[in-house]
This record gives sequence, C-alpha cells and structure tokens, in this order.
Amino acid sequence: MTDIEIDINGNIVTAKAGEMLIVVTDRENISVPRFCYHKKLSVVSSCRICLVDVEGAIKPQPACSTPVVQGMKVQTQNVKTKNSQKSVMEFLLINHPLDCPICDQGGECELQDLAVEYGSDVSSFSEGKRIVTDSDIGVLIQTDMTRCIHCTRCVRFGVEIAGIMEMGGTGRGENLKIEPFLEQGIQSELSGNMIDICPVGALTSKPFKYELRSWQMNSISSIARHDLVGSNLFVQSYKGKVKRVVSADNDLVNEIWISDRDRFSYESLTHENRLLKPQIKVQGRWNQVSWEVALDYAIKGLNSHILKHQKADQLGGLVSNTATMEEFYLFKKILTEIGCDNIDYRLNVKNLDNTILLDSNIKLDALEKIDYALIIGTNIRLEQPMINHRLRKATKKGADIDVLNVMVFDFNYSLHTENIIAPNKIAFILAGVLKSIMINDGQELPDYLIAIDVDEIAKNIAYKMLNSDSSVIILGEHIINNVDASTIANLVAKIAKSANSRTLNLSITGNTIAANLVGCVPQNSGMNVNTMLASDMRGFILLDIYPQYNFHHLGAAIKAFEKDDTFVISLNSFKDDIVVGYSDVILPIASIYETSGTHLNINNDMQSYTAAVKAPNEVKPAWKVLKVMADLLELPGFNYEDSTQVLAEISYQSHVIHNHDIKDNLTSYHNGISVIWQNSPYSIDAVLRHSETLQETKIGQMNNAYMNQTSAKTLKVSVGDKYLGVLVIITDTVADDCVFINANQTTNIYGQV
Amino acid sequence: MNEVCFKNLTKDQCWSLKTYEDSGGYSVWRKILKGKFTSEQVIDELKLSGLRGRGGAGFPTGLKWSFMPRHSDGQKYVVCNSDEGEPGTCKDRDILRFNPHAVIEGMAIGGFVMNASVGYNYIRGEFMEPFKRFEGALEEAYKAGLLGQNINNSSINFDLYTHLGAGAYICGEETALLESIEGKKGQPRFKPPFPANVGLFGKPTTINNTESFASVPEILRCGGQWFADIGVENSGGCKLFSVSGHVTNPANFEVPMGISFKDLLEMAGGMRDGAKLKAVIPGGSSTPVLTAEIVMNMTMDYDGIEKAGSMLGAGSVIIMNESTCMVEVLTRLAHFYYDESCGQCTPCREGTGWLYRVLKRITDGNGRKGDIDLLLSVQNKIMGNTICALGDAAAMPVESFLRNFREEFEYYIKHRKSMVKG
Repeated sequence: MTDIEIDINGNIVTAKAGEMLIVVTDRENISVPRFCYHKKLSVVSSCRICLVDVEGAIKPQPACSTPVVQGMKVQTQNVKTKNSQKSVMEFLLINHPLDCPICDQGGECELQDLAVEYGSDVSSFSEGKRIVTDSDIGVLIQTDMTRCIHCTRCVRFGVEIAGIMEMGGTGRGENLKIEPFLEQGIQSELSGNMIDICPVGALTSKPFKYELRSWQMNSISSIARHDLVGSNLFVQSYKGKVKRVVSADNDLVNEIWISDRDRFSYESLTHENRLLKPQIKVQGRWNQVSWEVALDYAIKGLNSHILKHQKADQLGGLVSNTATMEEFYLFKKILTEIGCDNIDYRLNVKNLDNTILLDSNIKLDALEKIDYALIIGTNIRLEQPMINHRLRKATKKGADIDVLNVMVFDFNYSLHTENIIAPNKIAFILAGVLKSIMINDGQELPDYLIAIDVDEIAKNIAYKMLNSDSSVIILGEHIINNVDASTIANLVAKIAKSANSRTLNLSITGNTIAANLVGCVPQNSGMNVNTMLASDMRGFILLDIYPQYNFHHLGAAIKAFEKDDTFVISLNSFKDDIVVGYSDVILPIASIYETSGTHLNINNDMQSYTAAVKAPNEVKPAWKVLKVMADLLELPGFNYEDSTQVLAEISYQSHVIHNHDIKDNLTSYHNGISVIWQNSPYSIDAVLRHSETLQETKIGQMNNAYMNQTSAKTLKVSVGDKYLGVLVIITDTVADDCVFINANQTTNIYGQV
Repeated sequence: MNEVCFKNLTKDQCWSLKTYEDSGGYSVWRKILKGKFTSEQVIDELKLSGLRGRGGAGFPTGLKWSFMPRHSDGQKYVVCNSDEGEPGTCKDRDILRFNPHAVIEGMAIGGFVMNASVGYNYIRGEFMEPFKRFEGALEEAYKAGLLGQNINNSSINFDLYTHLGAGAYICGEETALLESIEGKKGQPRFKPPFPANVGLFGKPTTINNTESFASVPEILRCGGQWFADIGVENSGGCKLFSVSGHVTNPANFEVPMGISFKDLLEMAGGMRDGAKLKAVIPGGSSTPVLTAEIVMNMTMDYDGIEKAGSMLGAGSVIIMNESTCMVEVLTRLAHFYYDESCGQCTPCREGTGWLYRVLKRITDGNGRKGDIDLLLSVQNKIMGNTICALGDAAAMPVESFLRNFREEFEYYIKHRKSMVKG
C-alpha cells in the first residue's frame, strides 16, 4: 500500500491508500464513535454511527468502511457529521431502554457515553419501546436483549473468533433478535469475550451481576495464570475483593481476548475452602495458631528432623506449577542454602528417564502466519485456547493442519487430516515422517530408521512438511507419559530440523517454564520427585500441592508424606483433607491476584504483575513466607523488601537435566493399554477447581473415561461402569490400546494411574 | 407492442421449447456453441442496443457485462434476480410463466460471456407457478442438449439451477439474494466489494434482472440497432410496464420506450368507471408519486419520467383515482417497508417502524401537529444513510407524498379523518 496524505479536520495526516478511514482516525487519536466496528472483527458497517463528512459526498460516509484516497478531506466534528451521528443516536435510543440505573454496563457503556455526547434530552419518538424476551445462554453470560442495539459484534465473534456461530440474528426489521439458535447455551471456551465486546448492557457477566459499578472498582493490570500464554488482563476489585476480570490489549500475547477460565477463575478467591489461618499438628491434633507459632514449629521441625542430624539430603522440596517465578527461586535458594538438592516440579511424570525435552521456538503472533502445523497429542482448543486461536487464524489464511491424536477432539477449524493413533504407535509414525524426509533429502539413514515402515499418514505429513514455507510441530500434554515420550520429542526435534520447521512444546503447564529456568529440578546428586517418593525421606516442603491432582505416582506420594517420622510443611491456598492427613504444618498462602510475581510464557516473555488485592485474613504471599522461613533458618542473602528484588537476582539459564538418544526400541511396539489421565480444562489447578461457576459449565463438567470397544473388552468394563473412578464412555473415536480420561475429579483409588 | 419478451404471448403453449425455437429461440445460443458469436460481439451488440437493467437501477447491461472480470481464473457465476417483490411489479412473473426459455438462453449467453459455467435463477418464494414453469423449461433445455457440460461438443459448460426464495422482499437486493443462495439469512452485504469481484460464494458474479436476461437473445438475434430503434434516445428498446390500480384492464404491456403515459393508460382501458386520475406511482412503490397534471405530459422512458420528477424503476405503474386517500396509501406503503426491513442497519431498522407508527397514528385519528415535519425529518435521516437501497425506498415515497399531497395530511391530522373519504 502506498503512502498518501489526507486532510482530517484541516490537519494533514499520512495514511496507507485503501485503509479504512476509522483505522486512520484511531491511529491519529481522532475520536469517531462506533458500535458495530471492532478492530478485530469484520466490518459490517451497519450501525451507521461512524458517519463522517467527506468532501464531495452528498451524504456523510461511514468511517469504518470508507477507504482513504489521496487528497481526501474529512470533517469529523462539523455540523453535518454531528447531525448525522445525532440522527443515528436518536434511532438507536428509540428502542433502547433507559434503564441505565439498573444496568450493569452503566458507566462503561459505549451507548451511554455517546448518548451524553450526542443524544438529545427529549426524543421526538413517543411510541412504546420494544421488549425482547431473553434466552438463558448459560452460567457465564447474563442476557438483557431488550438493551441490544444489533451491532452483531457477538455474532461475528462467534463466527470469526470462537469458530462456532452460537449467537445469530433471527427475525427481521425491528423484530431482529440476537439470540442463540440452540437452547444448550453458549459453549465456547472463549465465550466471556462477548461480554467485553458488547457495547451495551445486553451481554454482561453473570457472576458479576448487580455487584458493582465499574467506577467503584480498582483496576490493576495482571497476567492470566492458567496456560502457557499469560494473557494480559485487568483485575478489578472493590474493598479488597476481586469482583471481575476483563481482558487487556497485547497483540503479541493475547490480542484482546482471554479464555473463560482466565476470566472467571477469580471466583475461587472467596471460596469457603480458602485456608485462612496457619495450623500445626501437635501430637496428632490440629491447632490454629499465629504465624509466629506456626513458623517456629516448622523451623523446629526442620531442625529436629533433618538439620540437626546433617540430613539435608533426606529433605525433599516439591513445587506445583502454580507458583510465581520468584517463589520458585526462593524455594530453590532455601534448599540450596541448607544443602539440599532434592527439588522437582515434574510431579505428573511417570518415568523421569523418559521425559519430553523440546524447545519452543516460535512466537505466539507468528503462529498465525504459519502455513502448516502438525499437532501431536493435545486437545489444543480446550487445553491451550489462546494458542489454538492463533492456529485458527492461520487456517483462515489457508494453513493446513494435520493431527496425530489418541482421540477425536472438537476443533473449531477444519483439519487437513485428523489421524487417531494408538499411543504406542505415535513414535513409529513420526519415525516414518523423519525417514521419508531424510530419503527425500538424500540423507543417509541412521540405524533406528532403517526398519521403519513409512505408511500413508507419515508420507502425507512428510510431504506437507517439505512443501511448506513456515511450519510448526506442536507437541501436547497427552504425550507426557507416553511409553515413547522422549523418543517422540527427539523425533519431533529432528523432523523440525530436517524440514526447517519450528516447534512448540505444550507438554508443560502453568508456570513450569519459570520453575525450570530458576532450577527447580535436581542438580548434582539431587533426587528427582519419583526417587524422593521411593526413598526414606525425613521431611518435605510442599509448595501449593494437592497430591490427588498433581502426582502421577499418587499412592507413592501419599505414602511417602504420611510416614510417621516424616516432617511435612505444606504451603497451600485451599483446604484439603489429604494435605491435612499428612502435613505437620500448613501455611496459608496467597492465591492468584493476591501476590506480586512473574509469569514466564511459552515465548519466555517475562510478565510481572503486582498484587491486585491483599490476601484475606492471615494469608501471606508465598514469597514472603519463604523469605521469613529463610530468615528464621538464619540463612544469608534473603534481605528482600519486595518481590522485584527477588526477580532482579534471578539469572536465567535453562536447566536441562538429561538428554536422551533415540532408543533402538523402535523395532517393536510396546504392548498393553495406555491410560492418559488428563485433568479436564477447568480442573488443572486448585484455583480453577474452586471456581464454582466455571465448574457448572459443560467444560467444567467433563468427567469421562473414553475407550473403544476392544479396549473395554480387554479391561472388562462396559458402559455405565467406572474406570479408575471415572464413568466409562465407549466410543470408536478413541484409538486402540488407549483409555483417554478427562477428569474433573481425582481417582478414587490411591493407586497407579 | 410485445416484440421481445412477450413476442410469443398469444401463441399456444407459448412457454414450450418448440414455440420458442419456432420463433428463432436458441438460435443465438446455437451460434455461440458453434463458435460463430464471440463474447465481444455480444457485448458490442448489447451496448449498441441501449438495454438498461430492468430491475430498477437502469444501469446499461452491455457496459456492466464489459466490466466483469471475465478473464480471471476460477469459478464465476451468473445470477438472475427473479425475486420480484416491489409492490406494483409483476412483469418478471409473466416472463417466467410465458417465456422461460428466453431467460434460460439469456443466462446461458451471460454465462458464456462472463466465462461462468454455473447460473442460478433466484425466484421469489410466492411464485410457485412461475417456478414450476421455469423448472419445466429447464428440463426441456437440458433434454434438448442446450445446457450441461461440454454442450454439443463445444467445450462450453453451463449448468443452471433455480433457487426458490422464502418470502423476503430484501432478497431482491442483489447481495442479500447472494447471501440467501448461500444458505444464509438474506441481509445485504456491505459494498464494496461488489458482486462483480466478490459475489456468490466469494466468486465474481454477474447479477441481472429477469427481463434484462430475457431481452438479450432477441437483441442479439435481431441486432442491437434494431432494439435501440424501437425506443428513444437513452432508453433503447421496449419495456414491460405493469399497469395496476384504478384502470379498466390492469395488465403487463410490453411497449416501446418513450410511449406517452396517455397511450399506456389507454392500452389499459383507461380509468375504471371513467373516474378522474389523481396520482401515479410510475416505477414501483419506492419511486416518488406524481400528480395527474404532470403525468399526462410524461413519456414512459428513463429521461421522461425523471423529468417529471420520478423514476422508471421496474416499470410498475400504479394508477390512483380521485377516491384514493393518499394518507392511507402512504401508511400502507410505510407498513410494507417496516415489515420488510432486514433490521441490519440502524436507520432502516428503527426508522421504518417510526415512519409507520407516525402514519398509523394519523390514520387512527390521533395525528399531532408537527407530525408532518417529524415524518420529513425521519425520512431524511434514513435517506442515504443505509447499507442498501431499502432505506431509500422507504424514505422516498414519504417525501413525495408529503410534497404533492401535503394538504391531505394536514387535513387528516386536523380533522382526524380523511379528506377524500370523509
């Protein structure tokens, strides 16, 4: 596009030929009102409020859909412009109720703002107003469709962003009604964004209904914590309580969207299960005590069980993926200072000799520019909604996506091929892909590839990899405990190298990239988590751990913690019976939005945030608790006044623990049925599990063990039975030799999954 | 009279393939299939003929076809707009009933010129009989090997489908029509891009009115000059006028452009029961109304009607005698547009209902002082401010009715009853 000059209100501004006028005025900070126009949605030009006076045109032109041309003269403030905008306002207010005093949008309503600026005090319309019956669209979004001004942003959001048209316009003329076509309610994992983009009070947050006015709340920018993106958002609070979360703009991270779980998880902060006081177990009885007593008890316990006997090597430190980067660092520093190398965050890994090591080397915003993606082992739409959104955008521009999954999942874009592969065969398909690419490139084959069959699936993927200009291979969580996990990761890395492709490792979760970078993995002679669980440990410090959801070796974990002479210090945000069962000290720590900290996303973007609210009662941010513990242990170098000083001290280095060669065992499949236990998308951490409204959604209710007929026969289960405590669904959408579990509960047996 | 679309009107089974072919039908198409008629020739003849779009806008057809991205790669479409829904219009219905093959041949020629191998004829949902007639003709044409793939070994492909609407006036707007064919709700698209570039299923699409397509074969058979000579300067050929209202014989008449209104009225048997003419809507309900004095000196062509202060539109002449209450007519028209607005853009969605409600309260005897100014102000706020022309169509009659018959409205408001009916 060539640079041109146009005249807006007498000022010459530079623009690109063909840009829409409103894009230019927005860039120049010249105010033009809009309802239907939204920078991330298609232009429909239907509300007509953006009409501006363009020299040469008899009638004012809509700025959202008028391309600029060299020499164009525009007036955005003259009488002609104002009159036409006033006319449109008058039309809009004909049927819009004047219920601003009881409308949740009041104070942040685009229509209200403009009515103040453009509306008349008295309307010449004196007939009755339209009333629209509401549809119940679910637990997250409150509808008040009488207020709807038919801008269709929510409709376009569904079609263009969420990928499912859940809202639409029925009827015509003034009977046009924006409503869902089906009565099942809105199901999208991104549905809450409709609340943000609705310019009026037609769609508002249901959990926030009638709570507060926007101007009464403190708005603090923060970072979402439930995925690998770290979406930018605003946490809005009133009198120390988080009342609402809305999205913030960051084109490099989340554009302007956030997922429903990032939006509504704040509800957990006031859950009745919050841990509010420190407690200690003295002679088998729990007492609520002051922090001084609790910390004193904890330090004494550490001393008497471990330090006094110089047995720091029998202390274990385990962290979940929910902590901040600063907390991971302090945790690690304390253990290092007392001479303990037993530290780990990889709680959900079955076999730590068979782990995924794979770089992520593509930027989030570059994902939407790829022309080919191979997705392996993830229900990416629900597990990483914001990353999936970028891929969806790529498919809209023509990218092809192939999938290697253990089960058919619901994608919101069409796939090039969706291959349902038994877990024990995925490595062989990938080996076939690598072989095919190497043969094509005339490379000499390594031994482990010589006997590999290249089937049609592998050929097809290799062809796509070789014929794409910018491709990415995405490896997901379902591979973590695959029998060939490390082989798969290595094959992915080799394929990417041969085909000049990028990789994205989504097998990690939460803030574990930060945990790895600060070194929360065993070094030197330190034990890893599974070794710790199998060893005779004298004590544990556990940071935000709920074993039944965190550990792969759940039974072993509980057994290790429960041992009589093992002293366990737990730092948790929520009450938990199992934690109570094995701990000696439980320290209540701040949850999301209650502490300052740093989140490291898949692009290694270090995003720091401050606390939006103070933690309730006697709850303290974990970094402060750790600092005080260090002080009480009389460890040097913990003189921090705030968490930014902690951050400043952190030096970054990746802590790669082992590297694996591709094994020669690609000669035969591992036999047996693989069970993939995947916490359902709204159960991946304690905060989400305590977000009651999210739990009521269809995604929150996901709780099934899926298997095909053959697997069911082998396992001797049938429809209606439970497998590992989860209701069985028999479906041929699952691969052979596989049980795929999406659970919002813990298993009912404390055994091996 | 009746030289082009209605050429065979009086013949037995005038809609049959045999009748059509006996009078020279498909001869142009056959020439094209044999490679003896090029698309450049088609466009040149159409330009020469002076044929202008018969759906209402009056854009020169030859010029339109020459603008199309005919030589671009990929699928292209031709679409015939038979969603005839404007109050007063019923010409396309009779073309489909009595001369469907002319539409088929015209569309096939259009497909050839535009390099479009697929055509759709979008027929108004209420037109069951025309729909069946057209489908019958389509079957005949396929059987005769005039349509399909590699027609007569010419390597020309043209498949034609009918699509029945579901009763929305707005689907007569070309982009709403395209949406409807695509299976979506019939709502106009924002333009640009225009259908010529991004049309049906996102592909370049030529849309013409039924009468335009039906005129093409005869124009090409007899020559553009022949057609042009039938009409007058700037309005070539003949045109179907649907004369309705207070006349003795309401009907469709295919007459040369430029005929005087008086003659047209006479063809329709003059005013019914010898009543006095009061007003005429010359081009369909959305065109401005004219008074008797003006129309009596008007010629029926684009320039003639424009000079008189209205538009030729689709050639739908609504005749009203002295017993007509103009307030009630406008109220009825306003109700039509209120009912048919798609609801997409604000001024039309909210404004058409407002216009109707003000008029309704006047005819209910509850009119207020200032209502006339209010009507004028509302119509002015709609006019030119909407995505498609439905807003204008709703607004235009209001302005002209109030300009020409203001005293009737004032009377109705003041006396709470009709000036005409008492």
